[in-house]
Amino acid sequence: MSLFGQTVICGILLGGMYALIAIGMTLIMGVMKIINLAHGALVMVGMYITYVCYKSWGLDPYIGMLIAMPALFLIGCLIQRYMINRLVEVDSILPENQVLLTVGIMLVLTELARLIFKSDYRSVTTGYSSSTFFVGDMSISIPMTVGFFIAMAFTYLLHLFLTRTDLGRSIRATAQDRNAAIYMGVNAPRVTVITFGIGSALAAAGGSLLLPLFYLWPDIGHLFTAKAFIITILGGMGSTMGAIFGGLTLGIAESLGATYISMGYKDVVGLVIFLLVLLFLPGGFKSLTKR
Amino acid sequence: MLKVENIDVAYGDLQVLWDVSFTVQEGELLALLGANGAGKTTILNTISGLLRPRRGSIRFLGEEISRVPGHKLAELGIAHVPEGRRLFPEMTVKENLEMGSLSPEAKKKRKETMEWVYTLFPILKERQNQEAGTLSGGQQQMLAIGRGLMALPKLLMLDEPSLGLSPLLVSQVFEIIQDINRQEITVLLVEQNVMHVLKMCSRAYVLENGRLVLQGSGPELLNNQHVKEAYLGI
Repeated sequence: MSLFGQTVICGILLGGMYALIAIGMTLIMGVMKIINLAHGALVMVGMYITYVCYKSWGLDPYIGMLIAMPALFLIGCLIQRYMINRLVEVDSILPENQVLLTVGIMLVLTELARLIFKSDYRSVTTGYSSSTFFVGDMSISIPMTVGFFIAMAFTYLLHLFLTRTDLGRSIRATAQDRNAAIYMGVNAPRVTVITFGIGSALAAAGGSLLLPLFYLWPDIGHLFTAKAFIITILGGMGSTMGAIFGGLTLGIAESLGATYISMGYKDVVGLVIFLLVLLFLPGGFKSLTKR
Repeated sequence: MLKVENIDVAYGDLQVLWDVSFTVQEGELLALLGANGAGKTTILNTISGLLRPRRGSIRFLGEEISRVPGHKLAELGIAHVPEGRRLFPEMTVKENLEMGSLSPEAKKKRKETMEWVYTLFPILKERQNQEAGTLSGGQQQMLAIGRGLMALPKLLMLDEPSLGLSPLLVSQVFEIIQDINRQEITVLLVEQNVMHVLKMCSRAYVLENGRLVLQGSGPELLNNQHVKEAYLGI
């Protein structure tokens, strides 16, 4: 029983961090109506920045995160401003081509990372990397717990930003009706730039939180793109609450799969749930709350 | 106040407006009338900066606005209440109203303006924390107008505010529009509901197939033979 409890808790903690990455993706999808297939690559870049901060200056990943997030915000803004928005301005090009562009960005970022850091597996070993605490006889990882709570704190801050500030409300308004937002005086292209920046910063945050737990290599981005994509579909596209539930579901599923089936098959469990949701609940969890 | 001169507008190769010119005087309630597809909404979208005229000029308070990006117009004092209301369905009534007052000047008076909008539409105050998508059609129209007023506009452009409303609600909405106009807000009203509008507007233009064909005061047009035959069915 304690193994089961430990597995579920571990899944929830991991899922909270996945959710943070997926919320970044869902935010971008809401405003731009495209899947950002470079999202995992942005997570990877964020992780490398945090890694370099650790290696060069001995900065703890939770501190390095505070450098990686603004850096990724800037990178995200530049990508949206000078690449994706330029493609939007061309009338004859289909929205699919913006998605293709994100694939290109993903490839460039991944190969740049390979050029600089080689394909070697790297890891950050901090004093607390493998430390645990016990609840009853369940052993729970400290970096996972800390990461989970930081992820939830960021999610809450994002929620406040989206509901309490004019800029946040403008992001939601642009996602719900772009032209109406322009009528209200919202500078929609600027909002898309800021949204992409915020989404990228959240990706960096999620990556940095996972850095003490995961090996880092240039192709790890694909893993996170797939996870974020699955979570976004699970949650119902464009929904922040949905992304949280989707993240927790995926985390628990992977964790159960790793414990009860095999470590190597943990991703299969997530993908099976993904297929089941697509088949039986195509609107995601969001559709459950709508009448 | 607003002077539209000889504009041609096209969607790609498809031209929909030919040589359209009209003026809106300060304080008046001007109506643009015409059948479906005559180009009324296109005119409003061109003024709003969503479309660019091929030719001609649009001047608002003496300033050329036909090349000004759409999001700047709210700040200049033009509020557009679009056809089909176009609310933000997953935001609350209050948030929708807040979205209407983004310009620095309107933002300063956000609280007072909201109180004023709530006195015009008490139902909105009752529903202020409800999502806009859950309101009835009439309430949504009131919210759309209220959201437009939140910008404290000099010119309020209303696109088919009677669309999809019951006859009782139509009269109510038109009364509110007259009320707003009496409070010294210039109104540019686009409508298909010709009879009703001609009775309340100060002047009207009639648009047919992308060209302005008639203009005059309400009573003049009510007695016009062409208007009677084509729009009033008399």
